[in-house]
Amino acid sequence: MVRLSLRQKIVGGFGLLIFLMLLLGWVTLLLFGSVRSVQGRVFDSAVPGVIAVDEIVRSYTAQSAAIRGFVINPNQRSLLAEYRTEVQASEAATERARELFTSDRERELLQDIEAEGESFQTLVDDRVVMLAESGERGLAFGALGSEGAAAIDQIQALGRGLRRIQAITLDRTESDLVARSNQAVITLLIVLIGVISTGVFLTLLIPRRLAQDLSRLVEAARAIGRGDFHQRIEIKSGDEVEELASRFEEMQAGLRRLQQLALQDRELQIAGSIQRNLLQRTMPESPGARLVPLQRQANLVGGDWYDIDVDGRTLTAVVGDASGKGIGAALMATVTLSALRAERSVGSGPRRVIARANEALLEATEPDSFTTLLYASIDLVSGEVHWLNMGHPSPFLIRSNLSGKGAGYFLEGPRNRALGWFEDPGLAETVIKLEPGDRLALYTDGFLEAKSPDGEIFGESRLAEAIISLAPLDSETIGQELVREVEGFAAGKLEDDLTMLIIEFEGSPATEVAQEKLTGEEPWHSRR
Amino acid sequence: MAQQKVEIDIEDAGGYQILRPSGDLDVYTVGSLRDALATLIEDKTPKVVVDLDGVPFMDSSGLGALMGGVRRMREAGGDLAIACTREQHLKLFTITGFGEGVSIAPTVDEAAKGFRD
Repeated sequence: MVRLSLRQKIVGGFGLLIFLMLLLGWVTLLLFGSVRSVQGRVFDSAVPGVIAVDEIVRSYTAQSAAIRGFVINPNQRSLLAEYRTEVQASEAATERARELFTSDRERELLQDIEAEGESFQTLVDDRVVMLAESGERGLAFGALGSEGAAAIDQIQALGRGLRRIQAITLDRTESDLVARSNQAVITLLIVLIGVISTGVFLTLLIPRRLAQDLSRLVEAARAIGRGDFHQRIEIKSGDEVEELASRFEEMQAGLRRLQQLALQDRELQIAGSIQRNLLQRTMPESPGARLVPLQRQANLVGGDWYDIDVDGRTLTAVVGDASGKGIGAALMATVTLSALRAERSVGSGPRRVIARANEALLEATEPDSFTTLLYASIDLVSGEVHWLNMGHPSPFLIRSNLSGKGAGYFLEGPRNRALGWFEDPGLAETVIKLEPGDRLALYTDGFLEAKSPDGEIFGESRLAEAIISLAPLDSETIGQELVREVEGFAAGKLEDDLTMLIIEFEGSPATEVAQEKLTGEEPWHSRR
Repeated sequence: MAQQKVEIDIEDAGGYQILRPSGDLDVYTVGSLRDALATLIEDKTPKVVVDLDGVPFMDSSGLGALMGGVRRMREAGGDLAIACTREQHLKLFTITGFGEGVSIAPTVDEAAKGFRD
């Protein structure tokens, strides 16, 4: 398809119209020219030709009559003078005819007339006038009657021949005129039809097509007003309107993207609000322990949460992380928390609580999602901690009575599997004993998986080193500084939440102090 | 950042398919992996080895998609195994316990030997 811009179409259309109108004018001029040339042929050539021929014939006939009169009465010299005048008239007429006649046949006939004329005049001048003046009138008549009359007859016959030719020319001219005018009328009609169709195309088709295309665009614009960004605009005009339509479709696509982003933004707001509702709660009174929570939400809102409960001398602290991001993760966190709290409220122990949460997650969520958590129960009097690690990063212990590299380490122990995928995730428990002043940090993988711009991850070694170097500080400061360090490492682009719960065990004076190493203790730097 | 892409090559190894993602597997890109796995299940070729050698980073969304794939492949009568030598990913499988739920081996061939029948 030839692609023409709107300007090209309009300019081209009008150009064509002007060309056709010029053609119309030209054809009209041609017609007039043709008529004029025919007229010219008739009035400038054929008619004067006839007049000249008549004049020649008449002047010779007059010469013949004048010389006859002179022969009858030689004393009448005026007749001789009249003869001479007619000779001049015949010469002038012959001269004119020579200019008018162009065809060979006409010239031939004219030459014959001239020859006959000359022989007649020679006869008159050399013999007839002499014989008449010398009184030999009978001989003069005889010469005139035989040779002279024959020459004049011949001239008259030749004159008729010339007139016939002129008549034929006139006839031809007439039929030529008819043919030419017919041809001109046909040409005029064709050009006129061209002019009219171009005019119709210009005045009807282009504006109509334009109006149709524009109304499609208007309809699509109205659809956008109604919030429909999917209206198809099919314009294949090959001009600026098509260009406009394709720009319009790009705008629709842009609006669709914006709409999607707005929805995502809304989703993130909802997810963030769900998460805040899960976390924003006052820390329960826990005599014997101080709880310092820390939460820094990522742009995308991860599924981090924590839950704290105090029942008598038992403090339950849980830190969990639902896989994925956004509303899905936030809802999974809600499911887990609800199951945990419901089961705990009926007095179930940690194993039963976790088994119930796993069942709830298996039922409620897709197999693509899972939750890891660390479930710790702390005896606020003895400092004994029982914990279950469900596919979660190991907790970190900061010892109060140690310093240097040994001041803190990851607590390993039997690992269980993440919740929400396995029918039986395992429920192995680990026990350690806290000393007064010891701090136990439960956290999520946001700290470990924070990624630097070159793709390196923060990892366990950096986390352990950072905590140990901050160990002399209070728990709130440790939390703030850790977040700052991890954010600095990730150059401010945190893709996952950072959640940490630091439990400071204060202990009661009556608490028995045991120094033996319990299951699961292992300095972080000796780990593989 | 929000529009990162992961390229996923699929190769027919005869008897199973090898799926090779290249790029990070995280919340932004995990949709492509899920779609690729869903297509393979629809095509009734539910035996797949996912080769993680071209994946420098994987978060819980990526891990979730893989484990979801394992579950769905098994439901369709097949299996999903993982070829991986990257320490970081192996650690993630260990911590979460998913290493016990799926066949993981250093090479594709070895991983394929671990398919459940």
